[in-house]
Amino acid sequence: MEIIKNPHIDFLGRAKYFVALSLLLIAAGIFWIASGHLRYGVEFSGGTQLELQFQAAPDVDQIRAAVERVSPGAVIQTYGDAKENKVLVRISQEAPEADLDAPARAVRQALADSYSPNPVTESSSEIVGPVVGAELRQKALLLTVLGLLFQLVYIAARFKGGIWGIGATIAAFHDVLVCLAFLAFFRFEITLNVIAALLTLVGYSVNDTIVIFDRARENMLHRRKDSMAKLLNDSLNQTLTRTIISNGTTFLAVLGLFLFGGEVLRGFGFTMVVGIVVGTYSTLFIAVPLVNWWYARQESNARPARAA
Amino acid sequence: MPPALQNPITLWLLLTAALAGLVYAFMREELRVKAIAYGAFLLACAVAVWPPYERNGTPGKIHLGLDLRGGIHLVMQVVVEDAWNATVDDAVTTARDQATRKGIQIGPVQRATATSFTVEGTEPARVKDMRDLLRDFFRAGWEVRESGEGKFTVEMTDLYQRQLKDQTVQEVIRTLERRVNALGVTEPLIAAQGARGDQILVQLPGVRDVEQAKRIIKTTAQLALKLVETQAASRETLLSGTGGRVADNMEVASGLGDTPGEPVYYLLRKEAMITGRDLKSARVGVDENNRPDIEFSLKATAADKFSRDTGRNIGRQLAIVLDGYVHSAPVIQGRLGADNNRITGRFTTQEADELAKVLKAGALPASLKYQHQLTVGASLGRDSIRDGVRASIAAMAFITIFMLFYYRLSGVNAVVALAANLLILLAAMAYTDATLTLPGIAGIILTVGVGVDTNVLVFERIREELRNGKTVSAAVQNGFERVWVTILDTHATALIAAAFLFQFGTGAIKGFAVTLVIGLVANVFASYFVSKFLFKWVLGKRHVESLSI
Repeated sequence: MEIIKNPHIDFLGRAKYFVALSLLLIAAGIFWIASGHLRYGVEFSGGTQLELQFQAAPDVDQIRAAVERVSPGAVIQTYGDAKENKVLVRISQEAPEADLDAPARAVRQALADSYSPNPVTESSSEIVGPVVGAELRQKALLLTVLGLLFQLVYIAARFKGGIWGIGATIAAFHDVLVCLAFLAFFRFEITLNVIAALLTLVGYSVNDTIVIFDRARENMLHRRKDSMAKLLNDSLNQTLTRTIISNGTTFLAVLGLFLFGGEVLRGFGFTMVVGIVVGTYSTLFIAVPLVNWWYARQESNARPARAA
Repeated sequence: MPPALQNPITLWLLLTAALAGLVYAFMREELRVKAIAYGAFLLACAVAVWPPYERNGTPGKIHLGLDLRGGIHLVMQVVVEDAWNATVDDAVTTARDQATRKGIQIGPVQRATATSFTVEGTEPARVKDMRDLLRDFFRAGWEVRESGEGKFTVEMTDLYQRQLKDQTVQEVIRTLERRVNALGVTEPLIAAQGARGDQILVQLPGVRDVEQAKRIIKTTAQLALKLVETQAASRETLLSGTGGRVADNMEVASGLGDTPGEPVYYLLRKEAMITGRDLKSARVGVDENNRPDIEFSLKATAADKFSRDTGRNIGRQLAIVLDGYVHSAPVIQGRLGADNNRITGRFTTQEADELAKVLKAGALPASLKYQHQLTVGASLGRDSIRDGVRASIAAMAFITIFMLFYYRLSGVNAVVALAANLLILLAAMAYTDATLTLPGIAGIILTVGVGVDTNVLVFERIREELRNGKTVSAAVQNGFERVWVTILDTHATALIAAAFLFQFGTGAIKGFAVTLVIGLVANVFASYFVSKFLFKWVLGKRHVESLSI
């Protein structure tokens, strides 16, 4: 059984529309993020997050009334499976370094006092001091950039040409930006898990690009007469079945993670689901066209020189 | 299981021998070495993983991170200034005492910053003597500067500051380890971290009473027994006799008085008769009124001093100061010895119990500031693991069905490779004591994805070769050969990304990076070498006309 028999799709010819689409998406994303729509998780923004499990179905309004008294502006939402009676409380007020626990304790006390018929049976909490959050943000950014840089160097060395490394890196960078735009648009929080997913995507996107680059490298050895454009386009077609099957199965696997992985992994799952689609797309319509454009430019530069 | 098989190495040797027998009976000669080598390796992995989770009291080989089993994760900053301050205070006392001993008249000696102190008003005739004295006593680790008119500034060198910082952090870690042991936590993690190395990470998996654990960790537990000069209801009355000034060798502390709810201020001798360091042991007990107290005994060297000092001060009050707060100030009734000493105060049984624990474990040389605190309830952790496992099984089942459906018999090959990959991954985690976290489970799913990709790459290439009219064995041979470079490059770049994830150092993300790295390496073995072997085995020497792919 085969998905597509001997495909001959002109990917490169249509690349310009997709590049335009990507630029549009990224521009919209940057605008959306710049206008303050990117939400940071508690580990980056600092503050307190409580995960409370109640004995019976929680009444969010009553909980809000109780919490509002000690911690105005707290975000309260139900969470996870409805029958698990879980509520998430985000306290924005900064926890004092001397007593990080104070806001969390106040909320728990307030609930015990004024919402006593339905006691909290178990709670988890994450409390982040202001220093840690800022340090972590910087670290995440630095590590992402360094990770990309090292991959660029590796690919450039393996393919004996900077453009291959640059193509793969720009595609990966594109994926991170588009994912961030999606995360901001769908109001997902940037948590450590999401950062892990983004870094994984960088690896995955580059992985996908390399498979095709590698095929092009092999074709370059055997078919010296063909133009680079034809060679690259053929490489895309030759690996198309693999692209569909591999990315399709991984997509479904992370979709499972997104749907069944529970609340903690939801952000991670979402990032991966979006990222795998975008990663595949960027390989076909960003990385390869970029390499093609570079070689086409070099050819047109070389020709007049030879004529003269 | 018979006792002989309890030993994993014996078990492994037996299983491998059985495998070797089967291989010799049924397998072609040229495949035997590889079959036994691969088989023995996978059996070793299986033995290393068994039993994966806790069963009938035997602990499981796979350690669950605290996001899966509940517990506390704390990041605290050591306030290194505390240690510097204490060292400078000691130096101030030394400088003053030595000057007095040599008969040099000096003005005030006081701490200037956290790492320096000044000596002022040295009598002009003895400036040289004072200079020599300071240079002599503060030779190593200090720098003595002179700014004229008998004024000296003595400052710690940068090196000494760093040394003190490292020492302090190490001592905090050792003290916390002792305290955590007293709590009875299994598999705790206490380690220094952070760019400046002054942060301490404490992970206590499976702890139920979070509040108690935090109290026990954070209490500085600086114990000191000090003689009381006077006591009064307010600071002002206490110091009215001296015009509000506290003498150099005295200090003021507040604390419990005889009537509950009314604080009392004490004027204390600065020099402690006994400190927490002199304690040999401490345990909770009850006083004559059946109220909980803490009974302690002293080390031999301290006991002599204590006995002498108490003998000299019978009838005076001795304040029991814990972290700067006077818990009680009983009157010394007679000469006290090494044992049967009590710290009384208005403690609840739990307070007394916790205090005894921290006193026994020793004081922290510096206070701690919380920076990050994560607590996970045990059943919430169980929910997470259930969700994670459910998602993994769903992903695996789907991939298995798809591979069997799409690649038919060759799909079996891919499924075997995936299973081998997971087995190696789990074994490596068990062997290196890595913890499985929730993102770690996600990492496993991703590894499965990468494993499938490797199989698909190979299978598609074989199909392509077959389409180009190659024979089955040549197609398989070429397929594997051509794909090798691709696999190498893709795995290398993925490893680079994982290496940077590892740099995060944060528990959960690190768990993810660990599974990813191990999974990638395991995948090259399982999806490439094991899969290649399986193809060769099935195809054999016979001339095969068609391949189920």
